[in-house]
Amino acid sequence: MDLSLYLPRLLDGLGVSLQLTALSVVFGYALGLVFALGVSSIHRGLRWPALVVVEVGRGIPALVVLYIVYYGLPAVGVLLTNFWAAAAGLTFTVAAYSSEMIRAGIQSVPRGQGEAAAALGLSRLPTFARVILPQGLRSSIPALMGLAIQSFQGTSLAYSISVNELMSQAYQVSSLTFAYLTVYVVTGVIYAVIAVPATWVSVWVEHRLARGHA
Amino acid sequence: MPQLITEANELATAGVTISHLSKSFGSNLVLDDISMTVAPGSVTALIGPSGSGKSTLLRCVNLLEQPDRGTVTVGSTTIEAGAKVTDRALLALRRQVGMVFQSFNLFPHMTVLRNVAYPQEKILGRSRAEAEERALTLLERVGLRDKAQQHPGRCSGGQQQRIAIVRALALNPRAMLFDEPTSALDPEVGVEVLAVMRELADSGMTMIVVTHEMQFARDVSDHLVVMADGHIIEEGDPRAIMAAPSQERTRRFLSAVLER
Amino acid sequence: MEAVVAVLLGLPMTLLVTAAAFAIGLVGGIPLMLGLRSRHRVVRLAVRFVVDLIRGIPPIVWLFVLFFGVSIGALRFNALAAAIVGLGIISAAYLAEIYRGGFATLPAGQTEAARALGLGRRSTFVRVLAPQAARTALPSVTTFLLALLKDSSIASTIGVTDMVFAANTFVRQNPMTAGLTPFFVAAAVYVAISIPLAIVARRLDARMRRSA
Repeated sequence: MDLSLYLPRLLDGLGVSLQLTALSVVFGYALGLVFALGVSSIHRGLRWPALVVVEVGRGIPALVVLYIVYYGLPAVGVLLTNFWAAAAGLTFTVAAYSSEMIRAGIQSVPRGQGEAAAALGLSRLPTFARVILPQGLRSSIPALMGLAIQSFQGTSLAYSISVNELMSQAYQVSSLTFAYLTVYVVTGVIYAVIAVPATWVSVWVEHRLARGHA
Repeated sequence: MPQLITEANELATAGVTISHLSKSFGSNLVLDDISMTVAPGSVTALIGPSGSGKSTLLRCVNLLEQPDRGTVTVGSTTIEAGAKVTDRALLALRRQVGMVFQSFNLFPHMTVLRNVAYPQEKILGRSRAEAEERALTLLERVGLRDKAQQHPGRCSGGQQQRIAIVRALALNPRAMLFDEPTSALDPEVGVEVLAVMRELADSGMTMIVVTHEMQFARDVSDHLVVMADGHIIEEGDPRAIMAAPSQERTRRFLSAVLER
Repeated sequence: MEAVVAVLLGLPMTLLVTAAAFAIGLVGGIPLMLGLRSRHRVVRLAVRFVVDLIRGIPPIVWLFVLFFGVSIGALRFNALAAAIVGLGIISAAYLAEIYRGGFATLPAGQTEAARALGLGRRSTFVRVLAPQAARTALPSVTTFLLALLKDSSIASTIGVTDMVFAANTFVRQNPMTAGLTPFFVAAAVYVAISIPLAIVARRLDARMRRSA
């Protein structure tokens, strides 16, 4: 029951969870943008593969993706630490989900914007890059923020491939102390203390964005 | 009154010729073999009931709609329907013609200044300093210089439309298209925009205006074109037509509109 | 192949956990939604806090709390019960939020019209507002069900013998021969089940947007 004994361990685990979150969000969103561009492409050769990758990424449980990466990469000769295997798996899942949000954002840009740019004589690339994409990304921000919070919670799944993040630490500590309920409740509180205020912040940002765009 | 187009324009304004234009949306024939000539420096008003095809006709001039048959000529550039239009030809045409939309379509994520300057930089290759200076000059002319650093969302509808006109003008177009520019505005606010358009007309810009503003059509335009059901049913001097329309359809339309 | 059979043997459990948790969530979400829409500020804030808390804690933690942590006297949750109850509580929280969203997008005019006609609060709610809110919320509910199907895989971590558990077990028992096949099989089944559901969801969404 001595919090001061095991809390540091849990917080160490939290640090790892946050690292995983940062990695999966940064690389996941970048990859998600690539997927979104692929899915929106007019070239069938780009669109179909992108669609398949995204639908598979969204259709498979994140846990399964983690197992596939964990068991599968060594088989093809790629030796990653558990941490990096988890980062890779989570990045893929985040990329698939974020690509849908980015694509929806891009599609929600009013047609008139593209027409105005075309009427001015802007060619396709600057029209997309400087007019459509910035507005599209802005629309996706609320959804992407929600996804970031979910991916933080998703790092708890890395427990299953023996990454020393928060959940793993909780399991080890509870096995040592037998104070199962306390440890897991404290763990839950740690997650909540970060996730819940983060949700409030994202709702606030969402309202601010909506207001600035009347 | 200061002129909106200055001698800084390198090119003279151009005329627009539409020849045997036809366009269908699915099985719906929206434009039926339309031919029309707009002399350089003149103002043509396109009026008619909704569904008459006037907006579609306007959008064919800068190829936002691709006609099925016929040709469009702006200045010395001609585009033939059906023939493969290269991106370069398309851009060349669009860079000669400015368009103002009913819903303004300013870029909300850029400031007013950037809205007017960015197209100049990208399309005319002007330096940022040059483009912004020209932008500020034009904004000054329509009394909106103080809005330069704000985003369009903070401007009223009438202000946004005037900025949209300036954004198009900054590219030194040889002709300007207006697609119901005041339809989304309250009448009092629409007056500001119509005043700018009037000034532009006085400066000698070639203009084609699709509008419901009959007073503007009568007082400012040199040539009135009345459309219904995809055809031009009547065209000529605006005052003459409005006083004594020769077609029954025109008469019906005008009496309904003027009654409001 | 052996792997396919082994994994498919876990499918009933996957479906059971999903369906049972979904059922709990569908029903449990209603009182929570009513709390979120309560006229009394204290109730609203309290329920809001509870819902946010439930959603702020990862599902796996909830399952561990219930499975390892809860013991009243000699009573403990077995793995299946812990999974169903845990995922059920989480579903209730998410569905409450979805229900609330369905009501939030209703035009205010509906309530006003009902009142003007003289309908009482309960009739207004049950006969006018709720049916419309339900229709609006339906696509989101379907999307949630898809997510729940995938989250049911978390039950494998506390020993529920679902598809992922079966795949994991098979791989551990046949380390040389299994390869990744069991996981690919499980993945394929998840995708196969979610495709018709996703199509239904997209159709519902399109139909909704058209009639809006």
